[in-house]
Amino acid sequence: MSEPGPTTITRREAVLRLASTAAAAAAVGAGVVAFHDRRIVHPGAAPVPDWRVPASGAGVAAAARSTDPAGNVRRAVAALGGIERFVRAGESVLIKPNVGWDRLPEQAADTDPFVVAELVRLCRSAGARRVVVADISCNDPRRCFASSGILAAAGTAGAEVFDARGLRLVPAALSGLAEGLEVVEELLRADRVINVPVVKHHSLSRVTLGMKNWFGVLGAGRNRLHQDIDMAVAELGAIFRPTLTVVDATRVLTANGPVGGSLADVRTVGAVLAATDPVLADAWGAALLGSRPQDLGFIAQAEQRGLGRADLARVAELGTA
Amino acid sequence: MSWTTRIRVLYQAFFLLLFVWLLDRLAAGDPRAFPFTAFHHADPLTAAGTALAAGTIPGALVWSAALIALTLVLGRAFCGWICPLGTLQQLASFLFSGRSRRESLNVNRYRRWYALKYYILAALLVGALAGTLQTGLLDPLSLAARGLASGLWPVLPGGRPAPGGWIAALLLLGILVASRWIPRLFCRAFCPLGAFLGVFARFAVFRIHRGNEACTSCTLCAFACQGADEPLGNHRAGECMVCLNCLPACPEQAMGYGALPPLAAPPRQPDLSRRTLVGTVLTALAVAPLLRAAGGGRAAARPRLVRPPGALAEADFLERCVKCSLCQQACPTGAIQAAIAEAGVEGFWTPVVVPRRGWCEFACTRCGEVCPTAAITRMTAARKTGYDGKPPVRIGTAFVDRGRCLPWAMGTPCIVCEEMCPTDPKAIWLETVEEAGRDGAARRLQRPRVDASRCVGCGICENKCPVGEEAAIRVSSVGETRNPLNRLLAGSASS
Repeated sequence: MSEPGPTTITRREAVLRLASTAAAAAAVGAGVVAFHDRRIVHPGAAPVPDWRVPASGAGVAAAARSTDPAGNVRRAVAALGGIERFVRAGESVLIKPNVGWDRLPEQAADTDPFVVAELVRLCRSAGARRVVVADISCNDPRRCFASSGILAAAGTAGAEVFDARGLRLVPAALSGLAEGLEVVEELLRADRVINVPVVKHHSLSRVTLGMKNWFGVLGAGRNRLHQDIDMAVAELGAIFRPTLTVVDATRVLTANGPVGGSLADVRTVGAVLAATDPVLADAWGAALLGSRPQDLGFIAQAEQRGLGRADLARVAELGTA
Repeated sequence: MSWTTRIRVLYQAFFLLLFVWLLDRLAAGDPRAFPFTAFHHADPLTAAGTALAAGTIPGALVWSAALIALTLVLGRAFCGWICPLGTLQQLASFLFSGRSRRESLNVNRYRRWYALKYYILAALLVGALAGTLQTGLLDPLSLAARGLASGLWPVLPGGRPAPGGWIAALLLLGILVASRWIPRLFCRAFCPLGAFLGVFARFAVFRIHRGNEACTSCTLCAFACQGADEPLGNHRAGECMVCLNCLPACPEQAMGYGALPPLAAPPRQPDLSRRTLVGTVLTALAVAPLLRAAGGGRAAARPRLVRPPGALAEADFLERCVKCSLCQQACPTGAIQAAIAEAGVEGFWTPVVVPRRGWCEFACTRCGEVCPTAAITRMTAARKTGYDGKPPVRIGTAFVDRGRCLPWAMGTPCIVCEEMCPTDPKAIWLETVEEAGRDGAARRLQRPRVDASRCVGCGICENKCPVGEEAAIRVSSVGETRNPLNRLLAGSASS
């Protein structure tokens, strides 16, 4: 025979039980209310900042020539008023070279490592809080950053070097470009941006330079932009407005671009241009490859949109050191 | 924990971590020359298999003789102290089974069907002799590497999908879960490498022995016996994994492990029935031609069977590849995948290049550097690319699908395949044409054309083609260097 259980509960027990039931019901109810027809909000497209600095009397573009790429960078930047005009102490700077290909510096498919490293050093000397070197390569990113010499050179000079594996892509306001494209987050976070293209032949846009270099901050889907390349490149020029464009013409790739390969297609020029006008920078590079800037669709479109002026007379040629 | 157990666990942890760390370094593309193939080069089953199938023991695989020597001295210490799959099973058994001592005694008793591994070994070696190398299917080192490379890495952050990886992962998981009921079930009953070493372990100088005077037949030694080798009765040296659990378990200190003179009576043989063994051998001999008849890439070249650069001709390749997944793990772009159906039944789990997943990086020779059996030839970047003046190593040829290609079919400009093409001069060139659109107006278009004499089949064009899902330019195996009959163009070196 089993013991009879208690048939009553105390008032204290009753209150506690009712209270806990009520609390549980309230929690469930609150959960239902909170999640009912809840709209899943995806992060909005971040705006792309304008990284330019105000114009000054120091000119818009200067080209230096010598066999020393680092010296060329220093002289060209100095002619525009020095790095202090573009980078202030405490700012974070993103440097965007072309590290698209698993090629050696001699093959001129990627930006020269000495040019990149010198820019890193200049930014550091101006007191930049951090200097990031980043690009989304076309070939295997590890191999591109190693073969181009940029990982070693920029890293030694004091930059944080990120290839595609270390970069996060986020939606950004890319009006006029293909849907679904994302942009490197580090770029949007930077206070100042320096675009460092290398002068190369390209079979569709004929030359690939600074504005085309912005392909390297875009994620999957960028290959669709080739369908109207001149419009796309001009559009990129309108979206991304760098503090400075430094055109690397230490060596230029005259054929089989943008990948290259043969040293026979590489011409040693030994020049570096620094410019605040990205259209002028591209025009100067195109001229090195024998193209008249006005004949290039993307330069014409960029001029029409008021992104800059392709008037080569505005370039201060500093000559050899 | 006794000191013998502690030392063993340290060894096991070291080798397991080393195994996983090497796979991790491979996946990370670490340029330093770590001994990525060390485990696989120490594998005498791989050496015996390739020796029987291909008639050669390639390169550093001769080091596997050292493991046989070790076994002849210490017994199957590899199984108990080094093998990562053994360690994983022991760990799973330790973590997931709470057996009572009575159950342990029962579960660690030798079963006649544990002799199955010897039949598996016989079947695999006879199959190898008949020309089909399948040791890698069950070789513990291949199996563990494959399970991790195809099952674990793809689900890690930043991992790349591995089609069919779930099969490799399920096999590995199944083996670990089985240890919940029977510790090291795979080692005891299925492992062909364990069986191979067991053949030698019977003659080992060092072995477990029982001092009969002190023994009270309490059976405590069998409670934690990993190999089910019955240290209490007639010890089965071929089954013993030298875990040494029986030593500290004995309250009378009757168990010992040391160098002993050969037994007066010959050591106990595995319980093999001659009839079954002959049946196994005959079955294996019959299976080899059956696998062939299923029609892999051996008899006729297959379009989707694009092998990694430097892979030997298909017949030679299949006689060497042990399906270890190291090339897959090493491939920087994820191009190398395990074949599920591309290479026939015989070539299941052998590596294929899938350009839509990744491309063969022009100057990369990583897969050949890590192939333990030289099924993929080791070569320099200059040799592969043809920068040494000889024809480059080709793995296939790209073909434009004119029905899908934007300039060809849609009148839309696009040159991505040409832009990406790494050869010099580019194998993909652009033909400029005037074409009338729907409105009748003429437009200038650049259409990609492939110069088959230049194309190396790297597949970066297929990979980067902006046409979604199926690319408008695709690589098939024709033109591959390794097969002089799988040709597109007449002429010798150029095609």
